[in-house]
Formats: sequence, structure tokens, C-alpha cells
Amino acid sequence: MLRKLIGLLGVVIGAGAVLASAAWAQAPGGAQPKALRIAAVAYFSGDKPKFIGAPAVMAEQGWLAAELKKRGVDLEWVPAAHTAVGPLINEGFANGGIDFANYGDLPSIIVNAGGVQTRAIVGSGRGTDTFLVVPSQSTATTIADLKGKRIAIHRARPWELPFLRLLEANGLKYSDFKIINMNPQAGAAAVVSGNVDALYTLNDAYLLEDKKVGRIIWSTKSAPPDWKMRTELWASKAFIDRYPELTQLVATAYVKALWWIAQEQNRAAFVSLSTRPGSPESVTWREYDDAALAWSARWSPLFDDYALNHYRHSVDYALNNQLIRQRIAPESLFDRRFLDTALEQSGARQFWQARP
Amino acid sequence: MSAAQALARARGFSWLAKPLPLLLLLGAWTLATGAGWYPRALLVPPQQVWDAFTEMLASGELQEHLSMSLHRLLIGMMLGSSLGLAFGVSMALSKTVEVYTASLFNVLRQVPSIALIPVLILIFGIGETFKVLIVTKAAFFPVALAAYTAVQGIPKNYFEVGRVYQLPGLVLLRRVILPSTVPPIVTGLRLALGRSWGTLVAAELLAAEAGIGQMMEFGRQMFRIDVVMVGVVITGLIGFVLDRAMKLVEARLSRWRPR
Repeated sequence: MLRKLIGLLGVVIGAGAVLASAAWAQAPGGAQPKALRIAAVAYFSGDKPKFIGAPAVMAEQGWLAAELKKRGVDLEWVPAAHTAVGPLINEGFANGGIDFANYGDLPSIIVNAGGVQTRAIVGSGRGTDTFLVVPSQSTATTIADLKGKRIAIHRARPWELPFLRLLEANGLKYSDFKIINMNPQAGAAAVVSGNVDALYTLNDAYLLEDKKVGRIIWSTKSAPPDWKMRTELWASKAFIDRYPELTQLVATAYVKALWWIAQEQNRAAFVSLSTRPGSPESVTWREYDDAALAWSARWSPLFDDYALNHYRHSVDYALNNQLIRQRIAPESLFDRRFLDTALEQSGARQFWQARP
Repeated sequence: MSAAQALARARGFSWLAKPLPLLLLLGAWTLATGAGWYPRALLVPPQQVWDAFTEMLASGELQEHLSMSLHRLLIGMMLGSSLGLAFGVSMALSKTVEVYTASLFNVLRQVPSIALIPVLILIFGIGETFKVLIVTKAAFFPVALAAYTAVQGIPKNYFEVGRVYQLPGLVLLRRVILPSTVPPIVTGLRLALGRSWGTLVAAELLAAEAGIGQMMEFGRQMFRIDVVMVGVVITGLIGFVLDRAMKLVEARLSRWRPR
């Protein structure tokens, strides 16, 4: 019996030792890490993940992988399944599983408010539109018509903030609806089967319209430009502090990718590279069809007042709606050193203009 | 007797035997978070979990999720166990029912309730129906199986005596079948309750407006590991309390049995 208890204690101590050694393994060892890990949203069709947006272009260009190889560092792309990008990447940053990630504003605010320090090092452009879709047979034409109804939205994802803005602008609150927390894929199925009365989502809304099962009744295209959700290239602060040179390489590669995308003549090639599997290119074309936002400006990596104000508002919204409990200083989320050098190194210094 | 009990008794601290492993776990948890062996944001200290618990209790959020989950559990259990009881008893009493249904019953019994979640969502949507049905399914099979084996296990001579006295069906049920089958059926109910609870929380993780499972999923999305841990502890405690309550019922109903 006593032996058993000692055995039990052994297990506890053993488990502690494993945890401790895992922590030590992350401690600074050599001058360079073995691998540099970048997480980005990925769609799975078959066994290979498909990345979209600037990370897809970076991988295609191969510049970063080559530069890292010269320094004896492997480049690892870590796919974050599109069904739960924010939580997956946040957990990756928290447990030291990733060094960089291209993902959205709200999850980044949430993870920093939770005590995991990350920094935006390059912007990913002026933002992404989000959409309110109802089943095609629905009679609703405005958000107010949906009062008391079931709305599906994946909470804590970046599109929750524009949704909150839409509610606030109409004098509405979450308690005016039955909010159902589910990812856009499940939400789309729920719209089709009539299990929800509306879905708040990304450009997959066009897909529902094309299939004649849904109707977009509102989108951020008709809202002030700052309502679009933003993504940035984020880096773990620990990695930045330890490997500023490698961080610079990633930032430069990212700006190179954005610069390529922002050229009008590359638009078609980018759309085809960046379209999700199972979704026609027309969906991506329609999303980018916006008279108010020029193609080149759409991909501005600059951390100008426009970007900073977006984060000021976002932190306020997150705090006022209890998405975070601790106020964080929006300015502290940015580390601008790398962007300046990246613009210089990639020759794109004069290409984008700051916006107030 | 467990090792911990043995040790505690040996030193004259028998009262420590039961809470000791729990205290050890809590101690190891505190130690691990205090020493910073693992990122604090992921392995939150017990104190923070406690704070999240009291905060959610004060705001009424926890009670809301709990009452939602327990409500689903109650309805699903009542449905599943009464259907299971009726089915199990009729399968044991009627050869015809048994011949026609036993194989299908035994095949369906093997399908894990969690595996049925996607199918049920497809058919019934994400509303309350699917969640109550998944609990019903989880409760039905253990109770049906327990009822079936319990009734089958009634000694044949009980029925013979009943026949000699020409007992009407209802009396036979009340005086002979029920008393000899209740204890094993309650054991089945206890098993059913445990399984239903686990399945319900899993279903709520996937799709729900509220409920203890949804509270945990939301906590994960919001990077509130303390909220997730509150959910883990509460789920365990509720399961434990429900099981204990059924055990008491079981013991009480078996009082007449010779030990």
C-alpha cells in the first residue's frame, strides 16, 4: 500500500519534471533557433493545407525560406484551421508553439489582455469586410428586424467587433437577440436549414447568396471604412527580444509580399492564389470590389493613425463588452522598428501614403 | 482500501484519507504555477480559478449556464430512462419483442452517444431538441440493458408462485418484479446519469446558446483558461454529486437484501 502511494508521488514528481524540462527546452540555447514558425489561416482540401493572403504569397516567393536557410534556420508554416484561427493561434503564442502569426485584431487584443505578449510588426492592409446574411426566404432587411431572433456568430473572432458596432449604431444590444456561438461553417449550415435567423460572417456570405440560400442584408462596405476588421503580422515579444534580426527578415518578407499584391497587374494572380478551396474566385473578386478603397491602398502595411485609431476603438469595444477584463494600451501592441526597415529594404518606402 | 487510506490510517489520520489525493493535486497545481514551469496564461493558478468562480457566481452567469444544463439533463434523463425501462422490461418479458429487437438494440447500444451528435444536428438542428435527444439516447441504453437483465434475472420460481396464486399482471409487477429488479435498475440509472452528463457537456461544447459546456468553449475562445477550469471543476463536481445521490438511493433500495 505504502509502495503504491510512493508510486503515486513518483508520478506527480515525474509529471512536474516533464513540465519543467519542457520549459527549459524553450530557454535560450544557441544563437539561432532551429526553426522559425509562422502560423496563418489555412483551409484543408485533401491532406495539404492551403494558405491564403500575404502568407501564401510569401511562401510562393520563397525569399524568406532562402534567407533563413543561409542562416541555418528552417521556415515552418503552421496551419491554423479556419474554423478556429483565433483560439488556435492564441494558444500557440501562449505555449510557445509559434513565433509569428498573421491573424485578426480581436483575438490579438484578447491574448495580450490575457498576459501573453505579442506585437504587431507589419500591417496587413486596410481591412476585411464582414457581412450579415439571412436565409433567402427571410423578410428581414435590417438588423432591427432581427430583434428577438437567433443570430449565429463565432464569438471572439475579429468580426465580432464590427457586429457590435452595427448593434450599437442601431441602439441594440446582445440581449436583444439570441446569440448563438458557432463558427461560420456551422453557421452557414444553420442558415440553410433555417436553424438560425441570421449569420454574421466573412465573404463566405457571397457563397450563400450564389447558392440562393442566403441574402446579404448589410455589410461593412456600407459603413465607415474603419469598421472593417483588421489583421496584422504578429510576433511573440519573446522572439522579437531574442532574435531581432530574424524578426526583421520576416517583416521584410511580409512587406515584399504585400508590395507584390498591391500592384494592379498582380491582382488577378493574387485572387486566384488567395481564393479558398471550394469557393469560386468571383467571391474574392466581389469582396475586393470597392470604389472607396483603391487596390494599392487596400494592402497598406503602415501603422498610421488610421491603424492606431482602429485599435483604440477595438480595445474600448472589447472592454465595454466584457470581451477583455484588463485595459491594454493600444500603442503598446505595435513594434514599428521592423516595418520602417522593411519598407527601406524592399524599396517600397514611397509606395503607400499614411492616412489620418 | 486505497494506498492513501492505508497510510493515513496507519498514522491515525484516517479522516485525511479521502481529501488527501485532492489536496496533493491542488498542491502540485499551486506549485507548478508558482514555479512558473508552464506559461501562467495556460496553467492558471487555483486562486485565479476560484476568483473566476466567485465572480461568475456573483454575476449569476454560472447559475444560468448550470440551470440550462441541468434542465436538459433532467428532461433527457426522464425521457431516456422511462423509455429504457419500458423497453428493457418488455424485451425481458416478451419473447416476441426480444426476437425482433435484441440484435438491433445491441448494435445501436455500441454507437457512442458523442458519435451521434453530428447526425442529430443534421436532423434536428442545433436547438434544444438535439441536446435533449442526445441525453435521452445516452440514458436509454444503460437503463434498458439494466432493466432487461434485471427482469431476466428474477428467479423462475417467483413467477411459478405467482401463477399458482393467479396474481393479476399489475400485482405481479408491483409485488414481484419491481422489488427484485429495482436495485440493479438503479445501478443502470446511475451509469446512465454519468454518461448523459458527459455527453451533454460535449454536445454543448459544439453548439448551444448557454450551458456549462458552452461556457467552457466560450472561455477557450476568449482565452479565459480560468473560466475553462471553472467548467472542468464544476462538471466534475456535478457528476460526483449526481453519482453520490444515486448511490444513496441504490443503498436505500437494497436495504432488504441480505448482505
